[in-house]
Amino acid sequence: MTTAILDNVTVDFPIYGSSHKSLRQTLFAGARKLFGREAPRQPRVVVRALENVTFELNDGDRLGLIGHNGAGKSTLLRVLAGVYAPTSGIIRLEGRISPLFNASPGLDLDDTGYENIKTCGMFLGMNVSQINKRIADIASFSELGEYLDLPVRTYSSGMLTRLSFAIATSIDPDILLLDEGLATGDVRFATRAEERLNHLIARSSILVLASHSDAMIETMCNRCALLEKGHLISIGPVEQVIDLYHRRTESQAAAIGGAVAIS
Amino acid sequence: MKPDYAVARTDLIDGIFAFRIWTRLGWQEIKRRYRRTVFGPLWATLSLGIFIAAISFVWAPLFNADVRTYLPYLTAGMVSWSFVSALITEGCASFTAGEAIIKQLNFPYSPFTFMVVWRNTIVLFHHLAILIVVYIALPERVSFNLFLFIPGLLIVAVNGAWIVMLLGMVSARFRDIPPLIGNLVQVMLFVTPIFWEPSQLGAKARYFVTPNYLYHLIDILRSPLLGDRPAMFSYAITIVGAILGWAVTLMIYARFRRRIAYWL
Repeated sequence: MTTAILDNVTVDFPIYGSSHKSLRQTLFAGARKLFGREAPRQPRVVVRALENVTFELNDGDRLGLIGHNGAGKSTLLRVLAGVYAPTSGIIRLEGRISPLFNASPGLDLDDTGYENIKTCGMFLGMNVSQINKRIADIASFSELGEYLDLPVRTYSSGMLTRLSFAIATSIDPDILLLDEGLATGDVRFATRAEERLNHLIARSSILVLASHSDAMIETMCNRCALLEKGHLISIGPVEQVIDLYHRRTESQAAAIGGAVAIS
Repeated sequence: MKPDYAVARTDLIDGIFAFRIWTRLGWQEIKRRYRRTVFGPLWATLSLGIFIAAISFVWAPLFNADVRTYLPYLTAGMVSWSFVSALITEGCASFTAGEAIIKQLNFPYSPFTFMVVWRNTIVLFHHLAILIVVYIALPERVSFNLFLFIPGLLIVAVNGAWIVMLLGMVSARFRDIPPLIGNLVQVMLFVTPIFWEPSQLGAKARYFVTPNYLYHLIDILRSPLLGDRPAMFSYAITIVGAILGWAVTLMIYARFRRRIAYWL
C-alpha cells in the first residue's frame, strides 16, 4: 500500500545573509546576554512557502499541481521528496519516493557517460547489479553509443538531456514526483521521451506532477491541486480545478487592470 | 527544536551502508582534481615531498639538528599533519559541497562526511610514498612499532569523522566559519610540534603542547612512522576525545539535521 499524507504542513524559509542573524550578531547577542543586557531582538526574516496544506494520496492517484510561479509547487514537491522537513505539521509517506526534478543527481561533467550512469543510479537508489541491468537500456534510449566513454563535458546540451532523462526514467518508483520541463529536446526526442515518461508513470503507484501545461495535467492526472501563495486553494477533479484556476487568474487580472484604470 | 535521535541514527546507519557511494565519490573527486595530469594524485605527494626536502635542509642547521633525525621527523610529522589538517579544512565544506544532492533527494547526509574522511585517507596513503623514500635512505627508522600506525589511523579517522560532520554543519549555517577555521589551521601548523620537538620547549611544553588536541592526533600517527611507540596519554586523550566528540556531534546533529537543507 502506497500512501502520502500531509497534515497541516507549513514550511517557512529562513532568509540568511540579509544582515539577519550572522555569526557576528549571534555572538554579540550572546555577549550581551552574558552581561545581563538584552539584545535588541530582530524579527526573524522568513518567507512562508506553504501554509497548512492538508491532503492525502493513495494508490493510483495522479495529482497535478498548478498555480502561478512562486505559489509553492516546487516547495510542495520537495517536502514530499523529504528534502525539507516541514516547519510544522506532519507528513507521512509509505513507499519509495523518487523525485525527478531538474538535472540528474550527482551528475559530474568531468566523468564519462558510463561513470555518470553509475553515480546517478546509486543516488537514485539502485544497487550495482540493478544499474548494470539498465545500462543497455539507458545506452539505447539515449542513443549515445560510443560517446558514453567520453566525458559528459564534451556532449551537446541535447545529448546531455537525453542521458539525464534516460537515467532518471530508468527507475522503478512507488511515489513519483515530477517537476515540469524534465524532458526537452528536439521534436523526435520529445515524442520518444513522452512515451518513456508514460511508461514510467504507469509503473508508479502515485504520481505528483507540477506543471504549467493544462494539456499535460489533463492527459496525465486524475486529480488536481491549485496552490496560491502557499495555500492549497482547491483539490479535486482535474477539469474543475483547472477551470477554477483560470477564473481566479482572470479575476485577479481584472482587479489589477481595474486598479490601473483608476490610477 | 527538539532533538530527533531516530532521524540522526537512521541517517548515520543508512550513510554507513551507502559506502559504495561515498567510497566511489571519494575516488572520483581525487581523479577529477588531477584529470589530464601525468602524475595524477601523486602531484600532492610530490609537492609535499619537495616542501619537506627544502625545509629539512634549511631548518635542520637552523635548529642545530642532524638532518638524519630531522628529515624523518619532519616527514612523518608533515604527512600526519596534512591528513589531520585536510580533514578540518575540507570538513567545513562537507555539506555545502553536497548541496545539489541534499536539495534534490531524500538522501542521508552522513555519506558526505564519510566521503571527506575516505578521500583524505586515500591521499594519506599516497603521501606515505615520501616516507618509503626516507626509509630507503634511513632503514634504521623502521621497527615493529610501524604496525601501530593502523590503530592510530583508525582513531584519527573516527575523530576526523565527527570533526568533519560538526564543522560541516556549523559551516553550512554560519559562513564565517570556513575562513576562520582555515586561518586557525594555518596558525596551528606552527604552534603544534611539527617543525620542532616538544622537548625543545622544555618545561613550557606542558602549557603549549599537552592541551593541544591536534598534537595527540599527530602523535599517534607520527610516532609509529618513526619506529617509536606513541605516548599512552595520547591514546587515552584521543579515544576519550572520539567518544565525547561523537556524543556532542550526535546531540547537535539530532537537533539540527532537519534544518541543514534550509541552511544550504
